[in-house]
Amino acid sequence: MKKLLALSIFLLMLLFLAACGGEDTLSNDDNANDEDTKENSGEDNGGWTPSESIEMVAPAGAGGGWDTTARMSAQALTEESMIDQDMGVVNKEGAGGAIGWAYMAEQEGSNHDLFVSSSPILLVPLNGQSEYGHEDFTPIANVIADYGAFAVAEDAKWDNLNELFEDMKEDPQSVTIVGTSAPGSMDHIQFVRFAKAAGVDITKIKYVSAPDAGGVTQVLNGSADVFSTGVAEVAEQVRADKLKVLAVTSEERLDGEVLSTFPTAKEQGIDETFVNWRGFFGPKDMDPAAVEYYENKFKELSDSEAFADVRSNYGWNEMYMGSEEYKQFLDEEKENLKSILEELGLLE
Amino acid sequence: MLQGVNRKIGLILAILSIGYLYMSYQLPTYSYIPVDADAVPKTLGWVLLVLSVALIFSKDNDSEEQKAKRRIPKTDVKALLGVVALLLIYIMLFETLGFIIMTVLFVYFCSWFLGYKSHIVNAIVSIVFPVAIYSIFVFMLQIKLPQGILPF
Amino acid sequence: MGAIEGILTGFEVAFSWEGILFVLLGVFVGTFIGMLPGLGPISAIAIMIPITYGMDPTLALVMMAGVYYGAVFGGSTSSILLNAPGISGTVASSFDGYPMAQQGKAGKALAIAAISSFAGGTISVVLLMIFAPMLASVAISFGPPAYFALMLLGLTAIASLSEGSTIKALISAVVGFMIATIGIDPQTGTGRFTFGSMNLLDGIDFLVIALGLFAIAEVCYLVMNRHKSSAGSGKEIGSLKLSKDDAKEMSGPVGRQSLLGFILGILPGAGATIASFISYIAEKRIAKKPEEFGKGSVKGLAAPEASNNAATSGAFVPLLSLGIPGSGTTAVMLGAFLVLGLEPGPMLMGDHPEVFWGIIASMYIGNIFLLVLNLPLIPYIARILTIPRPLLISLVLMFSLIGVYAISFSVFDLYLLLAFGVIGFLMRMFAFPAPPFILAFILGGMMEQSFRQSMTISNGSISIMFENNISLVLIILSVLSFSFPIAKSIWSKKKVS
Repeated sequence: MKKLLALSIFLLMLLFLAACGGEDTLSNDDNANDEDTKENSGEDNGGWTPSESIEMVAPAGAGGGWDTTARMSAQALTEESMIDQDMGVVNKEGAGGAIGWAYMAEQEGSNHDLFVSSSPILLVPLNGQSEYGHEDFTPIANVIADYGAFAVAEDAKWDNLNELFEDMKEDPQSVTIVGTSAPGSMDHIQFVRFAKAAGVDITKIKYVSAPDAGGVTQVLNGSADVFSTGVAEVAEQVRADKLKVLAVTSEERLDGEVLSTFPTAKEQGIDETFVNWRGFFGPKDMDPAAVEYYENKFKELSDSEAFADVRSNYGWNEMYMGSEEYKQFLDEEKENLKSILEELGLLE
Repeated sequence: MLQGVNRKIGLILAILSIGYLYMSYQLPTYSYIPVDADAVPKTLGWVLLVLSVALIFSKDNDSEEQKAKRRIPKTDVKALLGVVALLLIYIMLFETLGFIIMTVLFVYFCSWFLGYKSHIVNAIVSIVFPVAIYSIFVFMLQIKLPQGILPF
Repeated sequence: MGAIEGILTGFEVAFSWEGILFVLLGVFVGTFIGMLPGLGPISAIAIMIPITYGMDPTLALVMMAGVYYGAVFGGSTSSILLNAPGISGTVASSFDGYPMAQQGKAGKALAIAAISSFAGGTISVVLLMIFAPMLASVAISFGPPAYFALMLLGLTAIASLSEGSTIKALISAVVGFMIATIGIDPQTGTGRFTFGSMNLLDGIDFLVIALGLFAIAEVCYLVMNRHKSSAGSGKEIGSLKLSKDDAKEMSGPVGRQSLLGFILGILPGAGATIASFISYIAEKRIAKKPEEFGKGSVKGLAAPEASNNAATSGAFVPLLSLGIPGSGTTAVMLGAFLVLGLEPGPMLMGDHPEVFWGIIASMYIGNIFLLVLNLPLIPYIARILTIPRPLLISLVLMFSLIGVYAISFSVFDLYLLLAFGVIGFLMRMFAFPAPPFILAFILGGMMEQSFRQSMTISNGSISIMFENNISLVLIILSVLSFSFPIAKSIWSKKKVS
């Protein structure tokens, strides 16, 4: 009897709370709307400003590229008092970003939620693993560019990209490419793009995915031949004469003592580039005034000295694009990726 | 009766393995890879099927002590189901009502339900622990837990 | 700069008052994080990165390293007391730690864990200091075939992990392996067995399974015995006293498994969790009384505890000497290096000897601090078990729920936890052993991937497995390990007849 009593009181209290909770959240929303309308009315004078703390979502776990970008920019923005409101970073980890994007899709119309993303927001939906793609959000600004590199062991027989691709044209099965992520994602696609431009049969490329730094290990011990990855991942190995870089994916050579020694594919006669851009997005239907506000803030961030330090520590490059330009860039990029995935038979 | 136990479990496992096999055979295949995504699942499915058939025909060699574990008194069944029900409610309302409220209520009522009679101690424990953990996560470590309907 | 000079610089940094302060801070935060549900070293270090921005890099890294091994040190507490591991590296510690605590020897169990962890940590730091530069080549010597063979060797032990019906042990293992196949397959990018749910694309987290099968299933039994008094009386329970025999029993496994754990820790991808399991099995295999394992054996607790701490130090070999992060935690630490303006890689030792050797030297102090911090607390922490059963049950449930929620912040995982709890309860009821399930889950995924990587590299030829010396030796060991128990049982039957 007692037990039943305990259970039923528990249930009753919950029902009561849930009812109160519903009202509470409603009234909160009302308040928020009130404030928004106030601001909107004041918009003619000074434009939109955030009225509450801003939530910055990293659609990945702590410590990765998205998380670092989110934390470092939030810190720079608030510490340099470019934005007066608090900025909290929230990790929505899982499914290569899809969990975070689904969460952001629920924030439709909010002006106080932002998130970080890069190429996967184009690739993951194309692979059929996310309902949401960049079209479902408001691109605000791109701030960072990373470039890919194709590295081989120091004693490998190839000295440049053309030698490698010559061998691959003869026998694609003789060369193993290794990357960190699965086929159809960045490491794979960036290599495929260059191989395609050089005329290799891309459907026959042997690609192995090896997480937990397996890629560099496998190239160092000779299990795999070519490591397709980001420039920063291999720079130190090159400096120590363990690896050599056949090509970087950027348009021009990169800055830096070691980085500037890496040849671009372009100068080797392969007309292709690949940028791993990284930027900020807002939910769908964000107030255009708010978009403009954030756009300006990210421009300020991108130009700031504090962020320049962050960039140089992480080996990131500056690449600013405003909302309009960004959106157009993303649309084009997606078409491009789509055709490659189609050819590989990876399109869902 | 005793052989019946293995037979029943074996049957359930066999059905599971057939379901798993069916799904394995639905997996898409790719031409560029020698051992495809479906190879290992298919193997596992068949192995489990063979093992569950073997289980159906095997004798129940469990010790008496082990067999005693299978007889659960009725009051205990009720208690177990009650805890499961509390857990389900907890999970369902966790994000709506927030970490603190749900956890406080859960700890208090779960202890009461299981026969803990000292209500004052119970109340203190069930408030102090969740609030302490919440503060550590949210204020010290800046890791958000669902705040629900509370303002902090 | 020679190695000796480097080591001296390292000690200078580590023994400066700031060095000592930051080590202390690091290991303190680490133990605490390890004891808390759901928080592992990865999130702790990631949170620290922005805070350490602009700090002296050596000190910041010394502190983060402290958080890392401190968390592995502290993680065993809840495994032993509540059967609810806080981090995945200490799951194996619950196999014998929890039964021991239930026999009223919680204090002793915690003391064994602390001392084994300390010994494992310290032995491996000595190895790290002497061999780090040389071991770099070991770290990269394992290709996919060698990883496959290593996982195979681990799996052959399934039969020895359990008593009773072999068929049931095998079924457990196969189902565990099946669970490991859920999620995106890295080699093709296909989602497998996800039922169209986004929540399953990343597979199921190891801790969800461990907490479900162990903690929640155990709670079911506690519920059935809720009116019995708690395990042991207040005084006895907190007693740290180890007899001479205990010390003698521990010394063997601690020595052996520190070495094995360290070596496994060096290999990228293996890490503390796999090391602790393999050490547990290895120790059970060579034990004179393997039947004591799983029932509160001193050896069964000392082995995984020494091993997981040693593996943690081992993980610093590829990180510091090659700039290769072999696990999630070391990958986050690699990020920390970058923020602090250092470039981790093969040149680190030459360019920044004070960082390289400073971190290593600080681990000596860190391990001593951990022991000194933990031992006096044991009598108090052990009293958790004197809490009346109903209250304890609620708190264990709370601990498990937060533990799972904090991994992924998804309610879906809470349902999974409950589901695995029910499965764990049924498995016990019908005598299906859980350790083979867990073992096949952690080794199976990696075994499949390395097998398929090998096959892709060799264009489908199985001979790649025998071309490399390491994998050849490991495969021969697997065959022996598999056939030995069978041969033994045939042998003993012959004797009888």
